[in-house]
Amino acid sequence: MPATDPDASPLPTVSLVDVSSYLPGAPVETEYFTQFARSDRMAKNVMFRAPRGRHHVGRDETAVDMIERAVEPLRQRRGTQELSSVDVLITHTQLPDNPVLGSGPEVARRLGMRPRVVYDIHNGGCAAFVHMMALARMILQTTDARTALIAVAQNCAGPVFTQTEIRKLAQAPVPGDGCGVGLLVKDDSAPILDIECRTYPEFAGDMDFTTNGERKYWEPGPGQACVSFTESKVTKVFARGNRLVPEVALAVCDRIGVKGRDIDTFVTNQPNRLFLRNWHDALELPAERHPDTFDRCGNLFAAGIPVTLDVENQAGRLRNGSVVLMSAFAHAGDFAAAAAVRWGAAG
Amino acid sequence: MTTSALPALSDIPEDVVPGVLRIENSDKDETTPIIMDMLRSVYPHDQIFGEFCPVQGYVAAPPREVYEYLADTRSLEEWTYSLRGFTETEEPGLWLAYDRLGDATKIYTRTVANPDAMTVDYHCAWDQGRHLWMVYLMRVVDAQVVLHKPGSVVLWTNCRHPFYDENPYPETAPAGRPVWVGDFWEMFSAGHQLELDNLKAICEYRAAHGLPIKPDWMK
Repeated sequence: MPATDPDASPLPTVSLVDVSSYLPGAPVETEYFTQFARSDRMAKNVMFRAPRGRHHVGRDETAVDMIERAVEPLRQRRGTQELSSVDVLITHTQLPDNPVLGSGPEVARRLGMRPRVVYDIHNGGCAAFVHMMALARMILQTTDARTALIAVAQNCAGPVFTQTEIRKLAQAPVPGDGCGVGLLVKDDSAPILDIECRTYPEFAGDMDFTTNGERKYWEPGPGQACVSFTESKVTKVFARGNRLVPEVALAVCDRIGVKGRDIDTFVTNQPNRLFLRNWHDALELPAERHPDTFDRCGNLFAAGIPVTLDVENQAGRLRNGSVVLMSAFAHAGDFAAAAAVRWGAAG
Repeated sequence: MTTSALPALSDIPEDVVPGVLRIENSDKDETTPIIMDMLRSVYPHDQIFGEFCPVQGYVAAPPREVYEYLADTRSLEEWTYSLRGFTETEEPGLWLAYDRLGDATKIYTRTVANPDAMTVDYHCAWDQGRHLWMVYLMRVVDAQVVLHKPGSVVLWTNCRHPFYDENPYPETAPAGRPVWVGDFWEMFSAGHQLELDNLKAICEYRAAHGLPIKPDWMK
């Protein structure tokens, strides 16, 4: 959102100074799922073509546990003092451990933080990391807060997609669990160049969460809960996703004066291989400049962007000074967001 | 299992003709991913316009009048980008004009129109009028039927005739002309869209101002 007062003094620069991530447990091989598949044909479904591996969060591992573990490398790099003095904490948890509580305050307690502001947000979907960057930047720019920690815990793959009925579905092998965090500081060391967030109310409500029966998920009884689309909506959502991610990404490119094909690294959410292909094609980028962790981790939902950024950063493939563009769309297309950063967190 | 009342494909010995996907040999579960794979964020230009150049648009003007305007060869004097100076030759229905894209290039046009189908085919050629190999296929559709609103939908397709690649009648070309019509093939999609936009703007202006779509000078 641009400032509304053109005479106002320019807003301070905010940087994404570090990222870190955590993947739970040992890799789960695709064979775990193929033994339950109802038919060979299901496995051929390209839309849900399985990654080679994924991680599943343990039954007793909470979102707070995941965030704490994702933050640990960051704490080691930057020191306990910097972490404990964070002013703003924002979390996003795919499957809340306690549906009436956000995990932010407990994360703060575990990390020894006393943030002035905690937000546990539940929107933004697969684009939540960018959504939280926008929110954190707004707070840092408009208050005297200096630092923000943003954390996304993707934890539905193990609990939901290994249920006895759900694991037979063609889409069950695609999700993976993981957690990613980012540290934002009010300075110009790794500046956020621009962010675009767009909400599309017209596409809201096309994703269901059902028990595959009459039962509400909180009511007792049979039926296993899962996210679902109707068959016709899968195609609609696919076509929307094809369009939305390049659209917001190119809007950011346009404003920062960079062509899509000149982006150094493009990182998106990673629902399946077709989207990944279509999105870098749309930006006229070779696949190697659009890294992903799909084969290792599956669809990490909101954690896809920070986990991939961390993997690339630790591997030394993100050069300081290069332009890193992130883009993703949420749910059935009700939100899409993109952000460009002048990278300054080389691992 | 046969569910059709008609003896479909009964003249062909195999159950499956290679490359033919029908619900009998590829059910929805199998076909959906094939369709998904075909959907893209962007489509390579050549994939869309390789052999054919389709453009289409909506025009807020009555379809019958738009058809009658297009069916008159002289309308090309107005809505095309570069065809100018139409005069009828001694051969009835064959018109001579100049394509100013090709400097002093003559272009011959014969219009074949079908009022029932509202199709208008312009058979054209640069330089000579004996073999009209450039064919512009147009069709006007009543927008009420297809878009549920008044007006016209204009469909326009060009096929990539091999003569676009090489002038088959070089002896008829003016000496020293630096270009050939087929040199512009890659621009046809954009160029034709530009001309269709002209057509839309002209027809819509006339319709909005109570003027006949086909102007009096063409009657």
